[in-house]
Amino acid sequence: MKPGFSPRGDRGGRGGGFKSPEGGGFRGRGGGRGTPRGRGGRGGRGGRGGFGGGKKVLIEPHRHEGVFICRGKEDALVTKNMVVGDSVYGEKRIGVEEGETKIEYRAWNPFRSKLAAAILGGVDQIHIKPGAKVLYLGAASGTTVSHVSDIVGPEGLVYAVEFSHRSGRDLLNVAKKRTNIIPIIEDARHPHKYRMLVGMVDVIFADVAQPDQTRIVALNAHNFLKNGGHFVISIKANCIDSTAAPEAVFASEVKKMSAEQMKPQEQLTLEPYERDHAVVVGIYRPAPKQKK
Amino acid sequence: MSSFRKALKSRQRNHHERSQPGSRKQLGLLEKKKDYKLRADDYHKKQNTLAALRKKALEKNPDEFYFNMISSKLQDGVHIAKKPKEEVEVTEEQKKVMRTQDIKYVEMKRVSEAKKIERLKGELHLLDADSKQKNKHTFFVDSKKEVQSFDLAQHLQTAPELVDRVYNRPTLKTLETKSIQGATEPHTMKKLARQRKHQYTVLSQRIDREKKMFVISQKIQTRKDLQDKTKKVKVKKETPNAAAIYKFEAKRKR
Repeated sequence: MKPGFSPRGDRGGRGGGFKSPEGGGFRGRGGGRGTPRGRGGRGGRGGRGGFGGGKKVLIEPHRHEGVFICRGKEDALVTKNMVVGDSVYGEKRIGVEEGETKIEYRAWNPFRSKLAAAILGGVDQIHIKPGAKVLYLGAASGTTVSHVSDIVGPEGLVYAVEFSHRSGRDLLNVAKKRTNIIPIIEDARHPHKYRMLVGMVDVIFADVAQPDQTRIVALNAHNFLKNGGHFVISIKANCIDSTAAPEAVFASEVKKMSAEQMKPQEQLTLEPYERDHAVVVGIYRPAPKQKK
Repeated sequence: MSSFRKALKSRQRNHHERSQPGSRKQLGLLEKKKDYKLRADDYHKKQNTLAALRKKALEKNPDEFYFNMISSKLQDGVHIAKKPKEEVEVTEEQKKVMRTQDIKYVEMKRVSEAKKIERLKGELHLLDADSKQKNKHTFFVDSKKEVQSFDLAQHLQTAPELVDRVYNRPTLKTLETKSIQGATEPHTMKKLARQRKHQYTVLSQRIDREKKMFVISQKIQTRKDLQDKTKKVKVKKETPNAAAIYKFEAKRKR
């Protein structure tokens, strides 16, 4: 999510400024508040509250490999945390003990991430799976990127491209702890500037919210995407043309894709998590059909 | 001397109020003077009111004009105002808050509510909410023939029963190879479902509260702004869930 485009509902106007910006949010509020309790009793339990192991949650494997559904007191989409004990943007962590081993999951908020919203909306394929190489355009502060890095795992790679220095700083901090993220602070319109860093990728994910979004993705696809690779593009209708109807905007974007050898396979709107957003998934330069 | 009196008191028998005798138990508690006084005062008040009304009706001038004669009409024996009553602009609840609290406090409460909502939303993702807004899923296929023979379950490689379970439709392969972890006993699952439901009600209450708080803070702010002397025109009336909208004349600041 771009910092400038945080959706504030439909009220607009005055009295704003309550939404915590990207990473800021709330950290756990356990310790150090009020007077010290003293006299033993329940002392030292600082940090996060909530889950204390035990069987308080049910983890269900999701259609997409590397993604899970957690159903306990919470009702959440989660990914397996690659850096155990660390949450990137103040999201909730959920620990599950399976015999001796302890696995930690991180909640993935669909209200903040288009990819998560698409997954919960029932998208057929995201093509991001363990071991995949992903080019992520519009990485912002690296909140969604961290979940993508969870999914692809240590064998995969995420090239995270972000233009803004400010959110790029947060992205760098995320990349410090996750070795499979390669942060690139460059304009995605000029892929030649970072061509030395990026190898061939299996899938491009784009959430750039620019009017010429499709062209940006196509440029990157021509440079880095393998033949028969896939793209996942999140489209915000308002950013492309705020006067036209959202459906018309999506249709015109899909048409533009076809002109760039990008063949769309499915399109999904993101209600109830986002308004007037769609995610288009497709294949780049598909292999010609076999004649029977 | 008083200490002696007190010492005596400790020895005397406790005073007990007379209670209803057992034989008259069906009459309820025994009425005391205090209770009688309350009952009698109430009775007299009512009687006085009735007498006053009777007197008023008796002394009424039949030729006198009342505005209600023209502004209301009789419908099925009931007086009904011809003009619908003006809608309330500020509810009682809002008035109460606006009278006693200042905008900073209301705003502070709203922000804290908003933060809690944000946190709850981070872990409650509306997986199978009933009244969920439906999204639209389009598949692009190559030929008309494929459109006609399109089967969703087959296309998604999932079991037909799972097609409606939008938030997770595991593929057949996933169903075969992977398993559910954690609390799988029916008893705990039921308990967790109950807790989850409660969390959702908490969330919806918080959202409501935040909205109310927002309206109140807007209304207070509008009233403050109105104290400004610049020319303004009311564009939209105040309603219980929105502040009035005024257009202020643009003025160049020096």
